[in-house]
Amino acid sequence: MGLDISIDTKENGVYVVFPKGEINTQTHQILEDRLKDIVAKARAIMFEMGGVSYISSMGLSAIFRIKLAMEERGGTIALVNMQPQVQLVFDTMKILSPQMFASLTEADDYLDKFLNGVQDGTIKPREPLE
Amino acid sequence: MTTGFELNEKLPTDLKKVTPFVEQVFRKILTLTRTKEEIFKIKLALEEALTNAMRHGNALNPDRHVKVQIKADRKQIILDVHDEGKGFDFQSLPDPTERDNAAKPSGRGVFLMRSIMDTVEFYDNGSGVKMIKKFS
Repeated sequence: MGLDISIDTKENGVYVVFPKGEINTQTHQILEDRLKDIVAKARAIMFEMGGVSYISSMGLSAIFRIKLAMEERGGTIALVNMQPQVQLVFDTMKILSPQMFASLTEADDYLDKFLNGVQDGTIKPREPLE
Repeated sequence: MTTGFELNEKLPTDLKKVTPFVEQVFRKILTLTRTKEEIFKIKLALEEALTNAMRHGNALNPDRHVKVQIKADRKQIILDVHDEGKGFDFQSLPDPTERDNAAKPSGRGVFLMRSIMDTVEFYDNGSGVKMIKKFS
């Protein structure tokens, strides 16, 4: 199974990404290439993960690189509505736990608080990792 | 359902070969178990082992190969993946769940394999890995 990606603009600088299929050794680059331009300008990216049936460590790495690139610019990501097996992979690796949400409402609340924090200066861009 | 299968393959080092091979094995596993979580974990462990063998073991050298032996019956599946590299120190990998290690390219696959399979044993200095998953 391949990977299809559609993208909606939610509001100014906030994008919702709908991956559908598998994010694996063969397809992770499709995700990174497709989001390259958006990562350079977005304030927040929400991944609606309901259509993702499988993810490997290469897929995790791709999403983590997107997260780092966003945070270095003072942005963030949110992941919502994962299938149980995909959730298990993220839970095992722990690294994205603060950005994982069961519903769009929860993810929206997180993004609102985050973007308000950036605006009032209480949330700063993160220093790049070595 | 069948009673089992055996597979012996020698794959060239080419990351594009990983997914088609994993899908081939996936179809065979479906003849032994329908448990979604077990199938997912076996598929993931095999992809991680193959990707590690090609990227880190064989350093993506297309002249090197990865040997795969799979033996499965109604009770369990044994996956054996062996590359042609010099091995690695599998006992001192960085913990990929630590934030400072999260961006590092290695360690995540091995961590996942150890988390989702019942047994994971490295041999030949880490150039081979044997993994077992028992079916429920």
